[in-house]
Amino acid sequence: MNEPAFHKITPRTIRVWQIGNFISNLFFFALPAAYAAVFGMNGFHFWVVTGVTSVIFILWMLSIFLMPYLAWKHWRYAINEKEIDLKRGVLFKTRTLIPLSRVQHVDTRQGPLLRWYNLSTVTISTAATTHEIPGLDTQIAGRVRRQISTYARLAEEDV
Amino acid sequence: MSEFERQHPVASVSRALSLIRGNFITILIFLFVGAQSDNFPFLWWIGGGFGFLLILGVANWWRFLYKIEGDTLHIKSGIFVRKDLYLTKDRIQVIDVTSGILQRLFGLVRLDIQTAGSSSRQAAIEAITRDKAAEINRMLRELTNSPTGPDSDEEFRDDSPAEPEVVKTIKLPLKELLVAASTSGSFGIALSVIATVFSQIEPLISESELFEYLFGLIPSQTDTVMIITVVVVFVVFAWLLSFFSTLLTYGNFQLDVKEKEVVVSRGIFEKKRITVPFNRIQAIHVTEGIIRQPLGFATIHIESAGYGDDKGTGSIVLYPLIHKSKILNLLQEVLPDYPKELEGIRPPARAARRYIFRSAFPVTVITGFLYWQLDLNIWIWLLPVISLFWGWQKYKDAAIGWGDDILLLRSRRLSKSTAYIKKKRVQDASMQQSPFQTIRNLASVQIFVASGDRGKSFQVSDLEREDGDTMLRQVRKNGVKTPDHLPEEPHQRRVLLPGWI
Repeated sequence: MNEPAFHKITPRTIRVWQIGNFISNLFFFALPAAYAAVFGMNGFHFWVVTGVTSVIFILWMLSIFLMPYLAWKHWRYAINEKEIDLKRGVLFKTRTLIPLSRVQHVDTRQGPLLRWYNLSTVTISTAATTHEIPGLDTQIAGRVRRQISTYARLAEEDV
Repeated sequence: MSEFERQHPVASVSRALSLIRGNFITILIFLFVGAQSDNFPFLWWIGGGFGFLLILGVANWWRFLYKIEGDTLHIKSGIFVRKDLYLTKDRIQVIDVTSGILQRLFGLVRLDIQTAGSSSRQAAIEAITRDKAAEINRMLRELTNSPTGPDSDEEFRDDSPAEPEVVKTIKLPLKELLVAASTSGSFGIALSVIATVFSQIEPLISESELFEYLFGLIPSQTDTVMIITVVVVFVVFAWLLSFFSTLLTYGNFQLDVKEKEVVVSRGIFEKKRITVPFNRIQAIHVTEGIIRQPLGFATIHIESAGYGDDKGTGSIVLYPLIHKSKILNLLQEVLPDYPKELEGIRPPARAARRYIFRSAFPVTVITGFLYWQLDLNIWIWLLPVISLFWGWQKYKDAAIGWGDDILLLRSRRLSKSTAYIKKKRVQDASMQQSPFQTIRNLASVQIFVASGDRGKSFQVSDLEREDGDTMLRQVRKNGVKTPDHLPEEPHQRRVLLPGWI
């Protein structure tokens, strides 16, 4: 059983994820803030707020400095004439196999942050599900998209 | 049929009715607002509203045109925003003929044409004569009959039979229908419907003298007896409701097996007729409900891409109730190309405690919390015990198997489900490992098939990691064609699937 050649995603994605997590996980600080607003900061409540805030702060730091790196390290994709193979997940590991004959369409997408770093996301849709390869260099993403659509046309069968 | 045609005028009424059904809540709110104001008579609201809807219905009917051009059905619709819908024959998944009470009064039918994708819900012709429906059905089916889409030239052969022969007809015996009705899963839904209705009319009742009178009738005045009585009455009513609704839905059930397609027709008042070409079937899926399983009965579903009902799922009931010893015979008759018995593998013994933990943990936590907070009866602790047993059952029922071109996944949530999936119908296959599964070298597999708008997934948890890998390899097109050899030693893990005999 020959395993297909796996590729990593573009390392610049780590930076995008860091910025993304920096902003979106700020939201969690609203929880202790709301708690403090309701119960005040006296005695017992002070320790609850401080404890929760510091736990959130540690997780926030991890989500900025550690998780993006690990997520990038564990992301792998492989494409050949027969199937697309995606591996991902730091704690929860997932491996997905998409037969190319089942691919309905492929898109590349780019948000403002991704555009700043010249990256794109490739989206693969089947009749049942949608999968993403996040953070590929725009040029590579274009190549991957073309590659998938060429292979998909070759593997064409009815639904 | 090269000219555009309109539907039968009854379509405008049925359109108005379906508008009412779709906006029921809004209408209800309007009615309440209307009832509040004194200077505007209540009946005017209803009359005016219905008149407005009728005008909408007529306009819709007037602007709805359809014709068949070559191999496409062309539908123009929309009052202000015109919509042109082209349905190509070789993309049609299911043709569905229904006749509601209104349509039957005029000898008409409703025709739903389903393709893969969500826009197909608009492709419904609300009311046309039976003959026209048959004509459209025949014209569109000429190609759905041919084995695959691309060879469209062959369909114009002169010798192609106009009406494909019915090879076999299978009916639902009365006894099975009655069992199906009395063990129907819509029981819970019926219960909630009744509870809702009761909660709405309860204030009315409690103010009336009737309530006092009923209270007088009940001999014992204790609250417990009262509550039990109410619950029993509820349950009996719910059961009767679900009994009769199932009876009406699955009465006159008939399964016609044709050369290239299978036709399911059912219903006593509202007749439904679903045509599914064999090559559009994505998976077979047998469920044994918790009430039906001890009696040895199961329901057979097929998944079809694009059969979008209101819930967006693509499950079609192929056979509502069957004794498990007869399932394989029935499948053999209807879908002989799905292999029937396979050797399979169960999760290893070390997965059992994960299964048990997963089902018992949340139940125990919730029970403990409720017991602590609400001061409940000690018997509530039976629930965690039951959930332990339930987890064990889940472990016992989980299994995977594979053959030359087929995969089989068996698992249990509440009811036990057994799915046959052709390898070439798999949309994607995943294997997942949580941190704890990684430690124990276990993995869960999940397989998606196309079904309705969103697809349907089948999952088996906590398999041996190597078995999960084999499963993924099986999905690969260029993968191992012959079945992988099952692991040699742990034969307590090997089972003969599907295990209905």
